[in-house]
Amino acid sequence: MMTNGVAISLNTAQRLYWFGRYVQRAETLLRELVNSYDYVIDRDVADGEKLYAKLGVELHYRNALDFLKQGVYGDHSSSIESIIRWARENAIETRHLLDERGFAALNKIHNYIVAGRESIVSPTSLEEMIDNFALILGIFSSELGRPKAYNFIRLGQYVERFDLILRLYEGLDLVNAELEGMNAIARRLNVSYQPLSITSSDIAKALEGVNGVIGRVIRDKTSVQSQSQG
Amino acid sequence: MIEPVSPEYQKFYDIFENVDQSKVSEFKDFLEANAVNFNLFKDGSFIERSFPFDMIPRIIPKGEFDHLEAGIIQRVKALNAFLNDVYGEQKILNDGIVPREYVDSAKGFLPEFMGVVSPKGIRTHISGIDLVKDAVTNKWIILEDNLRVPSGVSYPLTIRRAFRHTYPEFFESMKISKLKQYGDQLKAAMAYVNTGGLNVVLTPGRYNSAYYEHSYLAKITGATLALGEDLVVENNEVFLRVYNGERRRVGAIYRRLDDDFLDPQEFDAQSLIGVPHLAAAYRAGNVAIMNSIGNGVADDKGIYYFVPQMIQYYLKEEPILSNAPTYLPYYEKDRAYVLANIDKLVIKDVAEAGGYGVLFGNRLTPEEREEIIGMILADPRRFIAQEVIEFYDLPCMMEGEVLPRKADLRAYVIHGEEITVSMGGLTRYAMEEGNYLVNSSQGGGFKDTWVVEL
Repeated sequence: MMTNGVAISLNTAQRLYWFGRYVQRAETLLRELVNSYDYVIDRDVADGEKLYAKLGVELHYRNALDFLKQGVYGDHSSSIESIIRWARENAIETRHLLDERGFAALNKIHNYIVAGRESIVSPTSLEEMIDNFALILGIFSSELGRPKAYNFIRLGQYVERFDLILRLYEGLDLVNAELEGMNAIARRLNVSYQPLSITSSDIAKALEGVNGVIGRVIRDKTSVQSQSQG
Repeated sequence: MIEPVSPEYQKFYDIFENVDQSKVSEFKDFLEANAVNFNLFKDGSFIERSFPFDMIPRIIPKGEFDHLEAGIIQRVKALNAFLNDVYGEQKILNDGIVPREYVDSAKGFLPEFMGVVSPKGIRTHISGIDLVKDAVTNKWIILEDNLRVPSGVSYPLTIRRAFRHTYPEFFESMKISKLKQYGDQLKAAMAYVNTGGLNVVLTPGRYNSAYYEHSYLAKITGATLALGEDLVVENNEVFLRVYNGERRRVGAIYRRLDDDFLDPQEFDAQSLIGVPHLAAAYRAGNVAIMNSIGNGVADDKGIYYFVPQMIQYYLKEEPILSNAPTYLPYYEKDRAYVLANIDKLVIKDVAEAGGYGVLFGNRLTPEEREEIIGMILADPRRFIAQEVIEFYDLPCMMEGEVLPRKADLRAYVIHGEEITVSMGGLTRYAMEEGNYLVNSSQGGGFKDTWVVEL
């Protein structure tokens, strides 16, 4: 007498979601970092400070290369190193549901970052890293066997993307244009999900709404459902 | 002494001479990229550590493995019968085959579980049997039975894939036994004892030394990987807390934590990684615990001595594989021999594992010798003594050279509807020449194990 099937625990669901968020955060901030590096050299030396101020980080640097170094290895919560470390931590705890090549690609980036701590950060190596993140996201999207796990990653990516769009660009319109995509994924994960709509122009409220989506999908209540026997 | 080269080994070397040996570095890259780790806690710090790997496999001719397989299956069958008996009628104790005191004083014996029937009568679902090949007799000898939470199976399974990709030449030209069915067999064993519901691999979490293995086993069996806090017991039934607030019944748990930590209500109240009231659900027969609670009594180093007698008693057969010559200081005659010959024996503390608590008599200082003699006299049940087995070294590639290193073999056995032995196993080798301790927790490395047919 046995029934089986894929069931995702509360902990694992949270880890998958945060994995999606950190991978998206790493990819987006790497792009922003490289773009801002060019601006720091070519347009406004304070551009990097302004970028990180939007993330709540007070960043100081001596020159453009030091800006990259601080962006990647600085002692702050938005450093690329810490974001990748958190992405990897969440990946390690969910690797049984992840594509092996995607996991290995992320781990290689992590090992590369850790090994390069004492070296100069080159913009070219960051661009390669951006390509690798795109590759990782592509690998996970192409895996067919575990759609529920992938939907948690997608949900995390959506939330992170919206969060950064709102923080960096105050792009309410951009978020609203894609909101239905996120709601559709959340509904697939939990049929009782109440869709998010953003009606206010208040960015702080919009951020609160976006970041609260996971609480509408992941719930810790006490109903007991026996699985059918077969 | 290196094992003589068999025709099967020779075939490997013939191919080995012609392959691109510089590709050996790909294994290290693979293990690092995939974080195939055996983690350590050292000086209070968590260290992620790749498990050192040597590419020259241990090769066992198919005929020789068939003999091993038969002996191992026989042994696991007897050990399972012993556990059912010890937690049931205790016939083997009543008949005086195993001294009652040995069972009663075994740390792993849990009398509070007397009378609990394990689903389908299976308690040794996953065993790891440690063997060495004696260089004097050329025979395999059982060193240890691991019936609680034997680890290590994921490493040869993982590396085999890397081997196939890096050096397909070997797999094209040699008839090497397949390992892939391990996942299916484990899944089938879980299904066989499942009492209705999900299969779960219960892990202590990411900071456990074998966490890689836990996630690997969940992946290859399709079981749900869960932490203790993911499970809840209600009315003596176990449920998984699913992310959407539902709870789903759990029918089988492959637990990867020791009895002490399994249930804070029943065992160590300080355990934060267990599941409160899990033991009650097990007692009620509502969930299969793999391996069963209380198995430690059967892989106690003192009880090991009696396994050949168990085979005769339960199976009415002669043991196919031998134990290492072992003495129990508990018996007066053995004690006299041990004390007189301590310089040439290995003394093992039955409460220790992982290569700890092992003393080689010939390496003791006079003061240490006196100390250990005093300890044996004070508590003879705590120790066993064994003749030193001069087991074969295996060739290992170390910094560009092929050097001999002591190596053992852990064979993995799954007891579901049938008992099956994985066609390979984990070969562990010592890093230093002449070191007999090959355990991964002692810094040893691993090799793949190929069962080869000509």
